[in-house]
Parts: sequence; structure tokens; C-alpha cells
Amino acid sequence: MLKKNFMNVLIPMLSILLAFIIGMIIILCMGANPIQAIGFLFRGAFGTVTNLSNTVVRSMPLIFCGLCTCFAYRCGIFNLGGEGQFLMGAMAALAVSLLIGAEGPWVTVLAIVAGILAGGFWGLLPGILKSWRGLNEMITTIMFNYVAVLFMGFVYTSALREGSVPQTAAVPDLTKISRIFPNLRITWGIVIAILVGIAAWYFLFHTSKGFQLRAVGFNPTASQFNGFSVKSYRLMAFVVSGAIAGLGGASDILGTQFRLISGYGSGYGFDGVAIALIAQLDPIATVIVAYFFAVLRVGSTTMQVGSGVPTSVIDIIQALVIIFAVAGSAMMHLPTVKVFFSNLFGKKEAA
Amino acid sequence: MDGSTISDLIIATVRMATPLLIVALAELYSERAGMVNIGLDGIMAFGALVGFLVCYWTGNPYLAVICAAVAGVGVNMVYAFCTITLCANQIVYGMAINIFAPALASFIYRVVFGVSSTLAQATLMKTVAIPVLKDIPLFGKLLFDQTPMVYLSYLLVIITAIYFNRTKSGLNYKAVGEYPKAAETMGINVIRQKYIACIICGFFAGAGGAYLTTCYVNTYSDGVVAGRGFIALAAVIFGRWTSPGVMMACLLFGFFDALQLRLQIGSNLIPYQLFQMIPYVMTLLALTLLGNKISGPKANCKPYFREER
Amino acid sequence: MEELLRMEGISKQFGEFFANRNVCFEVRAGEVHTLLGENGAGKSTLMNVLVGLYQPTSGSIFLHGKKVKIDSPAHAVKLGIGMVHQHFMLVEAMTVFENIILGDRRSKKPFIDVKERKKEILELSWKYGLNVELDEKITNIAVGAQQRVEILKALYRGAELLILDEPTAALTDVEVEGLYSIIEKLKAEGKSIVFISHKMREVLHVSDRITILRAGEAICTLDADKTTSQELANLMIGRELSEPIYSKVTQPGDPVIEFINVSYKKSFKHGGLSEVSLRVAKGEILGIAGVDGNGQSQLAQIAAGVIVNESGEVKLKGKKPSTFAPRGFIDERVSLIPEDRNLMGLVGDMSIEDNLVFKSTEDVRFSNFHGWLLKKNAIRQYSEELRDKYDIRCQSVAQETRNLSGGNQQKVILARELEAEPDLLIAVHPTRGLDIGATRYVRDSMIEARDKGCGVLLISADFDEVLQLSDRIIVLFEGQIMGEYSGKNPPIQEISLAMAGK
Repeated sequence: MLKKNFMNVLIPMLSILLAFIIGMIIILCMGANPIQAIGFLFRGAFGTVTNLSNTVVRSMPLIFCGLCTCFAYRCGIFNLGGEGQFLMGAMAALAVSLLIGAEGPWVTVLAIVAGILAGGFWGLLPGILKSWRGLNEMITTIMFNYVAVLFMGFVYTSALREGSVPQTAAVPDLTKISRIFPNLRITWGIVIAILVGIAAWYFLFHTSKGFQLRAVGFNPTASQFNGFSVKSYRLMAFVVSGAIAGLGGASDILGTQFRLISGYGSGYGFDGVAIALIAQLDPIATVIVAYFFAVLRVGSTTMQVGSGVPTSVIDIIQALVIIFAVAGSAMMHLPTVKVFFSNLFGKKEAA
Repeated sequence: MDGSTISDLIIATVRMATPLLIVALAELYSERAGMVNIGLDGIMAFGALVGFLVCYWTGNPYLAVICAAVAGVGVNMVYAFCTITLCANQIVYGMAINIFAPALASFIYRVVFGVSSTLAQATLMKTVAIPVLKDIPLFGKLLFDQTPMVYLSYLLVIITAIYFNRTKSGLNYKAVGEYPKAAETMGINVIRQKYIACIICGFFAGAGGAYLTTCYVNTYSDGVVAGRGFIALAAVIFGRWTSPGVMMACLLFGFFDALQLRLQIGSNLIPYQLFQMIPYVMTLLALTLLGNKISGPKANCKPYFREER
Repeated sequence: MEELLRMEGISKQFGEFFANRNVCFEVRAGEVHTLLGENGAGKSTLMNVLVGLYQPTSGSIFLHGKKVKIDSPAHAVKLGIGMVHQHFMLVEAMTVFENIILGDRRSKKPFIDVKERKKEILELSWKYGLNVELDEKITNIAVGAQQRVEILKALYRGAELLILDEPTAALTDVEVEGLYSIIEKLKAEGKSIVFISHKMREVLHVSDRITILRAGEAICTLDADKTTSQELANLMIGRELSEPIYSKVTQPGDPVIEFINVSYKKSFKHGGLSEVSLRVAKGEILGIAGVDGNGQSQLAQIAAGVIVNESGEVKLKGKKPSTFAPRGFIDERVSLIPEDRNLMGLVGDMSIEDNLVFKSTEDVRFSNFHGWLLKKNAIRQYSEELRDKYDIRCQSVAQETRNLSGGNQQKVILARELEAEPDLLIAVHPTRGLDIGATRYVRDSMIEARDKGCGVLLISADFDEVLQLSDRIIVLFEGQIMGEYSGKNPPIQEISLAMAGK
């Protein structure tokens, strides 16, 4: 038991280390000094209070998207639609804040609720298609992502466009989610994100409903034979996971971005998948890994300016982490590896 | 619609369907050996970049497609090793490829052309008309004056159909996807067959990606694949795991793609994004109508442990 | 007779567990040599080593006196070793013909020459009396025919040594007779056969020699005509075996479940039910006898509320069930020991304790606020009590159930289902794949539940088990009830004919 938990932490750690080593080799091949580049990376992330606050700001949408994947996958559903659900949440929140004709904290609450509902709805659609027609959610959620992205294009170029530039108007000042510290960009959104993470963890591991949801994810047949409603748990997982992403979109647009522009939210869905997989589907670990991703993102800009290494090397490092982490945990299940470790641990106990 | 619009539509349908078809056949070869690969999108992205770069440097689109196909094999070998040898979850690993390969492509592009560069352009593959056939009235010019990639992909449909239905090797191949343990007891090397499937899949998926940058547009940009890998996955399901079926599905999806382009040009009142949604919405609709009544190879997505207890 | 095969000092290790330890085994040309042993004794493992599916941890194999290293099934095929596995190795989506020619290497032509191959196969099937329909899909043919396809497959590859792994398990008595005559013909042609079984009766009938395996080790080899079934049984178990004799109930209580003309997918011979009427009363065991795949699974699933019957009526305790779903049946105290414990019974990735409280996490014993806060300590304590009570052998109750042995997995299910104090217990193949100790435990528990007043619906393909436990016996054949018999002094001959549809 202890051994298993230990491995769950060790494998992601080793993967990160290995990915960094390869990343540094790539930097070296490009003719830059890897130590210096990594130095810039960390200075960019932690060097000043502003930078530190930027990492926190940057981590917020990633936490939501990671939790979105994590929650659904616990029920055996591979939701790749985090991006679409995030955008639908953001659009709904923005629409409410702009169209309601008033501003103030109550509008904020209303906008957030609208975001949750929109995200949940966008998760419900593939859920219905799965339970009604048995469609594979990986294909449908991706299709819904493209529809959502195009719909957003429609919103910022036509429906809610402001002025000659293709972008929407900004959220009114009084409707914005307020900052925790007056001169830093961190908003209460990050607190919501962490609370959602804790709530997901509590629900999954300390309640009967969460227990049954996980059981459905592991073995739907046994769950059905033992009286759980597999269809309703699956639908619930779709909706809640979409709602988490929708809440993320709302918090991001109301707290950080304020307006929709081209390319907004791009890649968040796949980032969420990567984060949740590296975190081995643990909600608390998801929050931590999401922050780690944000550190890399924020730091990489400084690195690009300082040492000329393009930011996309960070994308490679992130991708390598997931490649190694997944392969690593799969390896632990191989019979030969199991024998090796049981011998290793067995000897230690004997000695 | 007048005659020229219709013929334009047909040409565009064939053009749009071709990358889908090549990639869907790649997935067909993969799934017939029990390997569900949802990393097609990523492999295509990498193939698109390699194809573009080779074409940009050498000016030879044919060499570009071959290099891209080889690069696709390279990327897919990561997937193959982890899912076949390490028995990692195929879906999760396909997703890892979807994250990894585009990141690598985008990084290489930036290293080659600098962080902020002007748009680089390469030459496009020329169409090759087939003599005699192209002179058939009405459709001759439309169907037999295309790039060689188009002809090859349709040839591949026929070869695939014959291979899986008429040859011994095709029969053994299918057995691996249906019941690998039975195949193994009959003296078929399951592991080797699965690796071969992944090589074929990577090869065609890479080539399909290269089609986008050598026959379709002459530049590379991030997101050029635009979910085509996932539409190809849908086409395999829609085509019921047979190559003629897959071809029909790809032509259908290609038609919607062509249609939305036509409609965009034709209308100024309706926002163009709504037309762009058509291929995605139609894919969803098509799958919804088909439902889940049929399923693919039985051992799809299951890792194969030879010494399982 | 000349020696064909010799296996020397074979050991096979899985993790820390030895499935075979230093086994020596020898087969002569033209003999039927039985490997006898109870479930888990290592018979199949030894044969999987022989056909190259497993690599032995140590030991060597000699064929015709020459040392060989069999590193793949392809190699075993080339050496003339063929095996009919207990779970048939047939691709269901393909035809009989396609299954037989899979992996064929006799000509280098890329295309399948259908005519020539069919001629060859038909000749072979005539020679040994193995009649099969070549163009039929595997899914459409009966189990006995599937087995003939398997034998034909091995012979087509030129097998000199044929291994039959528990070949009679899924056959009716009539089909078993057919198999015996095929074995005789093969023997007459000079082929050697390794026959794997744990049934004494048939072993004495077909074998020339018998090797007994126990806990992975070869105990001894005997001549079939110089031994008795009692001696074999004692050697197999390792101690004097006394079959328990359970008392039979003749005056049961009120009915707990009744089927009145229940039908489900009537047109399906294998997997449908047609006009089934039966009743299980409190304090009795109703045994359903029959060969696998004659509607037993569907019967069990309707009785547990998993699938809904298409016509007819199901009554629980005299009433129509309020919700026809597993939950509604569980609330009426219906418990189920399902046929496939890993698929339907347990969540292998969850711990023993999670599986023990699987259905009752909302119970006040295990959670506060109607399930919104699980009492982890109470669950742990309860699980440890059950572990001791049901003798579940594990490192800790936090261990994942998929790492347990089959017997211990079944005990986890048994503990969960019996602790719910059921009024109706549905047990489907409850002892399949278990060793003798665990089998005995499960059977005793069912009798104990019956004596407490629980009605038991026992569905089993193991005829002896049905005879031993049931107070009444019903025979199911192709979804229909063939007859009902008393459990006390049952007419064995008549029942076994009914099982074959006669």
C-alpha cells in the first residue's frame, strides 16, 4: 500500500526530471546555455512578487480544466471537451455581464452561475449522445470543441463586437471579480479554483455518491449488477465536469481577461488532460500540477527574452512529462516489472 | 447552382476528402490489429510540418510526402512501444501523442524560421491528368485531373479491400485485432503484427498530414490539422471498419467541408463561422444517426499480455 | 511403446508464486495420458509451457529424445504439438474455414486458394469423423461443433501430440460420447493425446496412464487399469477425501420468487428463455441443471433485476417488484453471486474493504448524513471482522481485489452477499475455478444460508454440484424447462438425458 502511493508520487517526479534533462539537451543543441536558460525561467516565475502573482493568475484556468478532465475520467469518461466547455462558460458569463444593463457584485454572481450552466450544458450534450446512442465521447467532445470555438468567433466578430477590432467589449468594472491584493492581479477566482479542487477530492473519496461514481468508472458492469444507475452517474460526470470548466471560463473572463479575442482559451482542454493524467487523477495533485504548468508558462516568456530560447520548448517539456508519466505508470503493471519490484522490496524487508 | 458551381463542388469534395481518407485508412490498419490510435491529429500535425519543410527546402513535394510519412512512423513508434511493449492505455497514450507531436512541430517551425518571421511558402504538388480518362465528358476532367496523392489514396482503398478479404496475410492480420491469443496459438506473431500495424498507421497518417501542406495550402501554421484526425476516427466508425465504407464516409465528410466553403463565398449576410461549423456538426449528426449498433474488432483497445494469468 | 515427449524439471513462476515446481512428465507415442489435478494445481500452466505460450522459469523439454526449446506457439505448431484450450481459441467473427486456415504456411501464395484448402480439410474431417460446416460463422455453431473445429485445426497443422484441456466441461453427455470415439480414432492413427481433467470418472474411462499434479508438483504417474477413483481422489487432494452429504429439505416455506411463463429473446437457442415457470421458496435450494449457454445467465439476470423479461411475470414475495432494476431487487433482499466474479461481482481496482461495503455505503453503519461522509474507520473495522469470519486470505483489507486468488475473491463476494441477510440468494456457478477447500466452504455457506430460511437459486453447469446441494432440480435446455425432479434420490440417468434435450 505504502509502496503504491510512493510510486504514484515518484513516477511524476522522475518524469519531470527526465523531461527537464531532455529539454536542457535541446537548449544546448540550439547553442544556448541551458543552466542560464533555466535560470531565466525560474527568475521569470519567482523573481518578483508580480511574477509570482502572474504564475498564480495563470494557473487558475489550468486548475479548472485539469479538474474537469479529472472528474470525468474518474467515472470512466474521457472528456476532451474542456476547451469547448470553458469557452461556453466564458461566453455565457460575458454575455450576462454585458447584456444585463447593470453592474455590481450581484451581476458577477449571476454571470458565474450562467457560466456554470453553459459549461454544464455543453458537457451534457456529448453525455446524452453517449447514453442515448452510445457515441464515443472522445470524438464528440472534440467536435463540440470546434463548434464552441467557431461560435466564439461569431461572438467576437459579429454578435458582441465592439469597434473595428474583432473583439468584444470588456466586462464592466464593478462586475469584475475583485482582487485579493489591490496591486496584484490575483483574484478570488483562484480561491474558488482551489475550493473546487478540495470539493472534488472530498466528493470522490469521502462520500457514497463519489464512491459509486468511481466504481462506475472502474467497472460499469459490476456497478450495474450491484444496483448503481450507470447512466445517471455518467451523465452526472459529464455535466459536473462541464460545469467545472464553465466555472473556470466564467472566472477567467470576469477576473483576468475581461473580453473575448481571437485564440482565447486555445489549448486549455488538452492542457487539462495532460495535467490530470500527470496528477494520476487526484484532484489535489491536479491543483499542484496545474500550478507547475503555469510556472513553466510564465517563466518561459522571460526565458525567451533573456536567452533567445523559444517558449515552445516548454510545450515540449510538458509533453515529455506526460509521455514519461503515462509510460512509467503503465510499466508498473507489467508482470516482469512487478516481479522485479517484489524481489527488490522483499529483499529489503528480509535484510 | 449552375454547372460550374457543381463541378467546383465535386472537385473540392475530392480535395477535402483525400486527407481524411488517407488518415482514416491509417486508422483502419491500426484498429484491425486492435490498436485504437486517437493520436492521429498529432501525427498529422507533425507530418504536415515535415512535409512543408522538405518541400520548402527541396521544392520537391513528392519527396516531402515520403519524408513526412517516415516522420509519422517515427512519432507513432513512441505510441507503439508504450502501448504494445509497456501495455499502456491506448487512449491515454494517443492523447499524449496529440499533445506531444504538435508541440514538437511548432517548436521546430519556430527554430527554423525564428520566433517572429514572415510567412514562409513552399510549392504545391501539381495535378497530373490521366490521358484518355480525363477526356470523359462531364466528370472526366473533375476526377482524373488531380494530384497523384488523390489517385494513390483511391488505389489504396482497393488494395486494402483485397488485402483484408482475399489474402492469407490479411486474414491473419484481422485475427490479431479480433482475438490475439487465438492468433498467437495459430503461430501468428501478435506483437510483430501490432508493430507492423503501427508502422503502416504512422506512415499514412504522416502522409495525410503532408497532404495538407503540399497539396492543399502552401504554408504551415499551428492548428492546420483542425481536428481532421478525429473526423477520420469518426469515418472509420461510420464506414464500419471496411475500406469502401471508410471511403464513402470520407467523401461525405469531405462534401460537407466543400459545401461550407462554397456557402461562405456565396453569402455575406450570415457570419462565416456558422458555415465553418457544418463539417463538425454533420460528423456528429452522422454518428448519431448510425448509433452504436455495430462495433469494431473485438480486441480493440485491449493491451495484450502474453503471459497473463 | 516409444517415448514421444519428456518434460524435465519444469518450473514456472508468476511473481512470487510457483504455478509449476520441478515437474517431470512423459508421453509415449499412441497413448492417452491424463494430467489430473484440482483447479489451480498447474495443469494448464504446464501445457501452456509446452505449447510455447509461457516460457518456463527453469527445466527442459525433449521431443523424440532430442532437447528442444519452444519459444513461441508457432514453433510448437512446427514440432507437431497442438492444443485445444479450455476457452476455445476461435475468432467468433470469422467462419469455420477461416479459423482453420489461420496462420497457415503450407503454400507461399499470397491469396487464399479456397477450393484446394476446403478439399484438404474435408478429407481430414471425414477421416476422423469430425463433421463441421465450413462456411458457418463460429458464433452460429454449438459448443460441441466448436470443439470439433478446434481439434480439426490442430490436426490440419499436422499435430502428432494433441492436448485437450478440460474438453468435457461444456459438453452434454451425448457430445462427450462423440468426443471419446474421436479420441479412439486418433489413438488408432498413432497420435498421442494429453487429456486434462479433474473428473475421476472420465479419466479412468479414456486414459492409458495418469499423472497427478498437486499444488504445482507432479505427485506420481499411474496406469489407469491398476488404480481406482478413490485412490486418484486421495492423491489429488493429498488427504483422505470425504464428500459431505447434505440433508435435503422437502417441506419448504413461502415462495420468495416466482416466474410465470417468463420469456426473453425467445428465438435465441443460446441465450434466450421461453415460457419459463418456476418458484423458489424460503429455506430450500432449487438447482438449475444444464449445459452452459442454455439460458442460465439470462435466468439469473432476470431474477436479479438486471435485465427485464419480455413477457410473462416475475413475482417477488408474492408481489410485482416495484422497480424492476437491481436496486429494487436488492432492497427486497435479493443477493447475487454472479457467474463472472471479476466482471460482474467485484471492482478489481478497488480494495477489499470497498468491495465489502459496495452496496451499503449509504447505510448508517458506514456513513453519516445519508452517505455524505463515509466513516472510514467503521468500514475498516467491519471489513477486518468479515475477513476473519469468512477466512479471506490477504495482506490487508486495503489490498486491491484483483490481486487475490479466485477463491478469496469469491469469499469477498460471498461475505458481502450473505452479510446482507438475503431472503433470496442467486448463485451462478458459485464454485467454478475454485480449489477443493474453497469449493467446500462456498457449498457449506449456501447450505447454512438455506437452513437460516433463505431461498437459494443455484445455477451450475457442474452436475455433481447440483445433485449434491439441491432440494429440487430443474433442467434447462435451449431456454426451456425440460423437467422438474426431487433432490432426494434424483433419477440421474433421466436428468442427464434431459440436459441433452432428450
